[in-house]
Amino acid sequence: MREPPYRTELKPYGRALVEAARQRGEILCLSGDLTRQTEVDLFQAEFPGRFIHGGMAEANMMSMAGALARCGFLPFVHTFGVFATRRPYDQIANAIAYPNLPVRIIGFMPGVSTPGGPSHQATDDVALMRALPNMTVVDVADAVETRQVAAAVVDVPGPVYVRLKRGEIPVIFGDDHVLRLDRAAVLSPGTDVALFASGMMLAAALAAARALGSHGVSVSVVNVPVIKPLDSATVLSAAAGARVVVTAENHSVIGGLGSAVAETMAEAGLGRPLRRVGLRDTFAEGSSDASFLFEKYGLSTGTLVETIWSALGRPGAAPAAPAAAAESGEYSPV
Amino acid sequence: MHVSDAGAGWAVPDPRELALRIRLRAVRMVAPQGFGYLGQALSSAEQVAAMFASARPGVDRIVCSPGHYIIGPFAAAAELGLIDLSGYGQNGSAFEAIGTERSPVVDYTCGSLGQGLSAALGFALADRFRGSDARIFTLVSDGELEEGQVWEAALFAAHHRLDRLTVLLDANNSQVDGPVDSITTLEPIAAKWSAFGWRVWDLDGHDVSALRAALAAAAAPSGQPGVLVCRTSTRHGLDCLPADADGHFIKLPPSLAAAAVRELTGKLEALRA
Repeated sequence: MREPPYRTELKPYGRALVEAARQRGEILCLSGDLTRQTEVDLFQAEFPGRFIHGGMAEANMMSMAGALARCGFLPFVHTFGVFATRRPYDQIANAIAYPNLPVRIIGFMPGVSTPGGPSHQATDDVALMRALPNMTVVDVADAVETRQVAAAVVDVPGPVYVRLKRGEIPVIFGDDHVLRLDRAAVLSPGTDVALFASGMMLAAALAAARALGSHGVSVSVVNVPVIKPLDSATVLSAAAGARVVVTAENHSVIGGLGSAVAETMAEAGLGRPLRRVGLRDTFAEGSSDASFLFEKYGLSTGTLVETIWSALGRPGAAPAAPAAAAESGEYSPV
Repeated sequence: MHVSDAGAGWAVPDPRELALRIRLRAVRMVAPQGFGYLGQALSSAEQVAAMFASARPGVDRIVCSPGHYIIGPFAAAAELGLIDLSGYGQNGSAFEAIGTERSPVVDYTCGSLGQGLSAALGFALADRFRGSDARIFTLVSDGELEEGQVWEAALFAAHHRLDRLTVLLDANNSQVDGPVDSITTLEPIAAKWSAFGWRVWDLDGHDVSALRAALAAAAAPSGQPGVLVCRTSTRHGLDCLPADADGHFIKLPPSLAAAAVRELTGKLEALRA
């Protein structure tokens, strides 16, 4: 694990998709008028004959992708997460999920990581995709995982939804980190708190654990890159070994990681106080940059520290979260 | 069994006769329940017969965009000896009244309307990648033109010059709430497709010879997808139906079913005589 501020990379996914496509001739790339934004300008330059402009027509694009997969191709479909899920939901359900076809839906700009306002925020995409039978849902945390995700999903037998941060991608893990789709990764042992984080919230979870650790609170941080199918064994084992359970997601608290963890614990009969950090059933307004929204809506290191402090019943004020200090080209969570 | 499966085989010596047999078979499929999507079979019988007569078994594809029309391809396939329809419409059967992923015969169908043309584009792209000259016959209903996705697909097909694609548009002027033209003005339908860059044939959808000729003409490489605007009625070919029969979901009590079987059997005997 590296320490913040994290250095960042550009286009780790775009490069990885080109590499995967070099190995596998059946990979096709579809883009919904967001080619550079979803890093597949690299694919288009390398394999123009296997690149398809879907245009601003997501419903048509998803149904076409399903038919291409029926014919033996592996379509990777690219747009922003919000347009990849909410808008063509019925098409994904009928043309991709129900026939259980190997279409890879790649949705960029998760949660409130966009200055584009509520219309551009994928804040319920995990919930929507999780509700579809056969769908695998992936939310990777950093550039090291992003570099691996194209190859990791290529042979999943059914459909996959991958949500990816856009732009500068922090490098949090060491280069030896391996992304596994069947395992949540326990990054630190801890007996007071099991803190489950996915995607962009991993950096804040690690920062919160560090701040709390220096005040005698022992936090087990668990990175959960695959929300469905959830690695329930690791979730239950980490939760059982802690006094309280906290989830952290750049998404609504309804239907995403927090819900998945809650359902798993409840069905196993494992009772622990649970706090879900995420969007509290709201659209997120007022953005001009992502860090403002992360702060405003409580997707922050400070919120995690306060939530854990109060869930443990610790007296007095929670310790201050470390100030985010990142130079241009670096990344620190708020 | 799907029409594009390698090894699929059938022959349609007389598409007019097949259309009649589709009607008779559809009546017998619907009769046990006393209601069903018979109107769709009646309006599309000639189009389905013409598709089966024109498609190359094991090569070309048939897409049935509106899942409610699956009764027609089922009836045709049963008449051609391709499937055994027993159990149709009963609990647990693979032959559901609205098409599903388990539906045999067609290469694609979907009960959520307006999506089949996009799937046909996916097939056309796949065939182009593979260097196949397979044709894709796609049945679309006029009610589906109210869905925006159909027009997304129409734009895409013309832009990409997908000329192996031919739409048979069943313009029966029928949807759940009543005549289509009382709910949405679709006309001029032919001019709309033409403006979208398609080659258009506007014809009597119950004239099998005209349908066959248009499907043959649409096969010529032109750089444009083709659409047959098939003017039809949900009551066509079954005179015993009451004038106020609901074309979307026809009620067929036993006495009416018996009359329908008598009428269609008689017509079939007359055609064969």
